[in-house]
Amino acid sequence: MSRLIYWVSVTFCASFLILPLVVVWPLAFNPSSFLTYPMEGFTFDWFAKVLSDPGWTRPMLNSVRVALGVTVLAVVIGGLAALGVMMTRRGTQIVLSALFVSPLVVPSVVVAVALAYAFGRTGVGGGYLSLVLAHSIVAAPLVFLSVMTSLRGLDPNLDLAGASLGASRIYRFFTVTLPLTAPGFAAGAVFAFITSFDEVVLALFLADPGSSTLPIALFAGLRDRLEPPIVVVAVLLSVLSVLFLMLLNYLQKRHAAPRS
Amino acid sequence: MTSLEIKNINKHYGAVQALHDVSLSINKGEFVTLLGPSGSGKTTVLKILAGFEPVTSGQVLMEGRDVTALPPEKRNFGLVFQGYALFPHMSVYDNIAYPLRVRRQSKAMIDERVLAALDLVQLRKFANRRPQELSGGQQQRVALARALVFKPDVLLLDEPMSALDKQLRHDLQEELREIHRSLGTTFINVTHDQEEAMHMSDRIAIMDHGQIKQYDTAHQLYRRPASRFVAEFVGKSNVFQGEVRGSGSSARFYSASFEMPLADAQTGASTVMIRPEDAEITTTAPNDGRITLPVQVISSTYSGDRALYTLLQSDGADFIAYAPARSGVFPDGTDIFVSFASQDVIALA
Repeated sequence: MSRLIYWVSVTFCASFLILPLVVVWPLAFNPSSFLTYPMEGFTFDWFAKVLSDPGWTRPMLNSVRVALGVTVLAVVIGGLAALGVMMTRRGTQIVLSALFVSPLVVPSVVVAVALAYAFGRTGVGGGYLSLVLAHSIVAAPLVFLSVMTSLRGLDPNLDLAGASLGASRIYRFFTVTLPLTAPGFAAGAVFAFITSFDEVVLALFLADPGSSTLPIALFAGLRDRLEPPIVVVAVLLSVLSVLFLMLLNYLQKRHAAPRS
Repeated sequence: MTSLEIKNINKHYGAVQALHDVSLSINKGEFVTLLGPSGSGKTTVLKILAGFEPVTSGQVLMEGRDVTALPPEKRNFGLVFQGYALFPHMSVYDNIAYPLRVRRQSKAMIDERVLAALDLVQLRKFANRRPQELSGGQQQRVALARALVFKPDVLLLDEPMSALDKQLRHDLQEELREIHRSLGTTFINVTHDQEEAMHMSDRIAIMDHGQIKQYDTAHQLYRRPASRFVAEFVGKSNVFQGEVRGSGSSARFYSASFEMPLADAQTGASTVMIRPEDAEITTTAPNDGRITLPVQVISSTYSGDRALYTLLQSDGADFIAYAPARSGVFPDGTDIFVSFASQDVIALA
């Protein structure tokens, strides 16, 4: 009986989540410039076109640049926040954790409007920096949560042992805490990268034409000309996401191993 | 010569007072054990010595120097954790080398001292293993080597044997005593196992409810306990409540079942104790001037060399006594006599 429920729910979820994606993918290889079935053949032309069109490659590079900046900033902020919160007492921990996670709960539109206004007033202006800052606000909580989980699983006596052996706080961090929670930091970094890479709302509000990211380009493409390049970009993004998921899975497995 | 001195330490956790005016002075090279039931404050004392917990008031002096406010990394005290706390991402060698690398020793020096420490705990061939690949007893010895390799002024041991089985515990106790003898480092051990404390320690501090009840050698604690708590916590005992009449050399102790002179007791002492090995069991009353009580066997535990009897006195209280068991044990329900000399009766305050 439970097997039946398992298979029904798996089939249902899979078809609901994956089918719409799978149905679109083949159209990236369809020679026709209309997004319709039946397919008229098989070609990589659209891939070549996308990868040689600065209208697509520039946003791609922008997205990568922003996402890399976000990854660095979010890991530093989120990681430091997690380390600091772990040193406080239990009650304080709950309050501070809620505070650090709150950007995930506030609607992005609200954050976007607030930041657009604030950046405009302070002259940070549109472009790369404002995007990195804005995305980091949303990405840092993910790093925070991921690192917190790692730190909670760490035996607090290991740090005390380091101290009793004469190691300063910083020495202990680099020789004991960081090596043992590295998978948490790495998973947080992957989350931060993905979050920034496919973020639309903040980017719409904050990007100027020069720093337009891939999701914005996709969005514009959907509105203006519904053509196979959009599907090509979607396929590329899906492949990237799957790669990242595999990476996360690998990191978590490595993390689980030494405890067994 | 006093090495480590704890002076009037009080420790509060919010409204709860965990330590009451704890003072302890430990000589250089001494093996001292803090012994007490859980919640007695012994681990709190150790945490304060290690520098993990601040004191509410009082001082910790290391060779006369006030170290009360010093963080753990500046104390140069070794600590063996209850769960060992070995670094799982480092080999046994790297674990032991850690405190030497912290101290920026030369590579040659590190190598020499780590190998010497590995020899000390007989684990040289496991140098390249990870701690998880070792047994509990081996991990314990790695933790010991790591805590000793940097020649600490004091070695603190937090219930080091609690996770090990009985045979292993016994072997490690021997090994630890041997290491203590050969190094001459001051050892401070925390345990709730009174046998372990008596086997290993030069002196034992008995703790209860955040206070030190008595601080003395194992022999003094056993033969001259200062209170009923100590008498009952260290070894087995038969305690009698009664009253003392008269004073000085004519003082006598009266209980429901017997009376006796109480030579060296302070007047007012109304509790006395007899150790089970000081009592003798006979089938007839000996009438040799010793105190003799008629009892009935409730149960007996035979352990080859001797048997431990639980006996029922006429007033309904239990009495426990050891007896030789070469020719078997008395069956349950047998009416016998238990006798003890009045000089073996220990007066408790």
